[in-house]
Amino acid sequence: MKTAIEIQNAYVDYVLTKGLKPTSVYVFAKENDLTEEEFYNFYASFDGIEESIWIELFNRALTEVQNQEVWDQYSSREKTLAFFFAFIELLKTKRSFVLHSLKHSKQMIGAPSVLKGVKLLFDGFTSTLIDQGVESGELANRRFLTSRYKDALWVQFGVILNFWTKDNSSGFEKTDEAIEKGINVTFDLFGKSPLDSLFDYGKFMMNNGGMNPNVKF
Amino acid sequence: MKEQDSIPTSKTERSAKFVKTGFKVSGNYIKHYSKKLFNPSLNRDELNLENAADIYESLSELKGSALKVAQMLSMDKNILPKAYVDQFSLSQYNAPPLSGPLIIRTFSKYFGKSPAEIYDEFNIRSTNAASIGQVHQASLNGKKLAVKIQYPGVGDSISSDLKMVKPFAFRLLGMSQKELEVYMSEVEERLLEETDYELEITRSMEFSEACKNIENLVFPIYYPKLSSKRIITMDWLEGQHMKEFMKTNPSQELRNKIGQALWDFYNFQQHELRAVHADPHPGNFLITPEGKLGIIDFGCIKEMPDDFYYPFFSLTSTDMLKDKSRTIKAFKSLEMIKESDDASQVEFYYRVYKEMIELFAKPYMTNTFDFSQSDFFEKLYLYGEKVAKMPEFKQARGVKHFIYVNRTNFGLYNMLHDLGAVVKTDTWYPHVEIAV
Repeated sequence: MKTAIEIQNAYVDYVLTKGLKPTSVYVFAKENDLTEEEFYNFYASFDGIEESIWIELFNRALTEVQNQEVWDQYSSREKTLAFFFAFIELLKTKRSFVLHSLKHSKQMIGAPSVLKGVKLLFDGFTSTLIDQGVESGELANRRFLTSRYKDALWVQFGVILNFWTKDNSSGFEKTDEAIEKGINVTFDLFGKSPLDSLFDYGKFMMNNGGMNPNVKF
Repeated sequence: MKEQDSIPTSKTERSAKFVKTGFKVSGNYIKHYSKKLFNPSLNRDELNLENAADIYESLSELKGSALKVAQMLSMDKNILPKAYVDQFSLSQYNAPPLSGPLIIRTFSKYFGKSPAEIYDEFNIRSTNAASIGQVHQASLNGKKLAVKIQYPGVGDSISSDLKMVKPFAFRLLGMSQKELEVYMSEVEERLLEETDYELEITRSMEFSEACKNIENLVFPIYYPKLSSKRIITMDWLEGQHMKEFMKTNPSQELRNKIGQALWDFYNFQQHELRAVHADPHPGNFLITPEGKLGIIDFGCIKEMPDDFYYPFFSLTSTDMLKDKSRTIKAFKSLEMIKESDDASQVEFYYRVYKEMIELFAKPYMTNTFDFSQSDFFEKLYLYGEKVAKMPEFKQARGVKHFIYVNRTNFGLYNMLHDLGAVVKTDTWYPHVEIAV
């Protein structure tokens, strides 16, 4: 009897050595002294294994940053930054797998299929952050738009991941800069801007300032 | 303090920032002249102030080497109008800080641990910017520490930054392209050294050891084991920067004591070590509550080779100036007069440089010197202004070592002037033959 982890490791080893997925669960199970049933007890498909590895990476990164002492002092912006730094650091330990997985995954709208699980978790994580940010006044609450903030962050997730897969700098230092800049830009856009005040002022004057086209100075 | 959230790093982004400043500066001119239409009494001070503020804003957002250049420009009070100087002085400390998670990231990269695991306490908000990094307060085993962290990618961007600072330097200093080339490569070399924290910590330890017997100086203890390529850990020194210190109305006696320590510190290095802390801006010094001078930054060290040291200090500290042919020979070896100059040029540069050396050497001519007297500085400024207007000085003159040696010594004079100190100037004397 094998554990989920063992199956996972055997699978990663297989795809990285051979460069492609096993032809069938049957073949894979046979090579690893498993029955098909045992395999299906843990995973529904090979993609399922990959998805679970991604989810584990995500959860480990998140747990790691949440356990940092400073976590509670962080603003939403900083929490997002911290998460990405930790996540990219973790990905380093599985870079070959990550590159393989992204390259061979079926492309779906918005994300590769192997990231389906991660997207749900990420959305959950960022929604909470955004709620906190709006509540603390760090982020602007804009009708129709606030609920889309998390999508902008998911786009950043894709951009950063993509940047990292192509990064040749030592210690992936450029990715660090990409994270710092990308997340900051995104949060700058979420924050209150002069346009919000202008819009607000305009609304106020329209309602109360007697600003109608017929008024003469 | 407003926290800075992003630092533009790619070259295009940085260029955009500079271009923006350029627009703003020309905008200020337009604003100035349109205001002047209505108010002819408006003087240029206001315009200079607006320009300086915009340039400062732009430079400090860039951090890194551009901020360093701002600091450097602010040292040259004798070249820049007062308004520029006031604004640039801001850049000497209090530049906007960078955000937190990257700091933790830097730690885990170089130590494999978070700051919380290394220190007993670590303040994630920085207390000051150190131009290419920032300073955080920490504590370990009951000791208060200062932790200096460098922003990643600073080294990469220095060269491209300097290229973009050039047009501003042209405009601000009225220098020619050729002259700048010589200077910029020297500056670039020093700046790159400054990004090397491993070198800095070695030097800091060497210099504080070498200078430890000088009275009234305090050096922090450095912790090489808690330092790396991007991080320096040292003792936290309590104290005030010069400006705050002066606001407390210190007694003349105390000001003299600090001034003397400063003078001794620099002249000991110049003449005994032949290498000098070449960054004499007030942000690198603290005046401790015990009335001592704390030195907190050894990032920039200028070494003085013999072929510079001997001719230069022979000029300032012997009666060589009275002997015209020997003076000219020394000027030639310092490339202040070139072999290609004709007789009238030799005569011209001889006169102008002699005046400069005489001014520079004035504090050395007597046993004590009162740096509070304004007329000496007036003369320095006037000389600087006069020379800046001379077409003969649009071209490169003088060996490259002058940039940092001048910056060091005029920086020292300026600080002593700000302190209003009277110091004994014969404590550490140049090692050149006095008898001729």
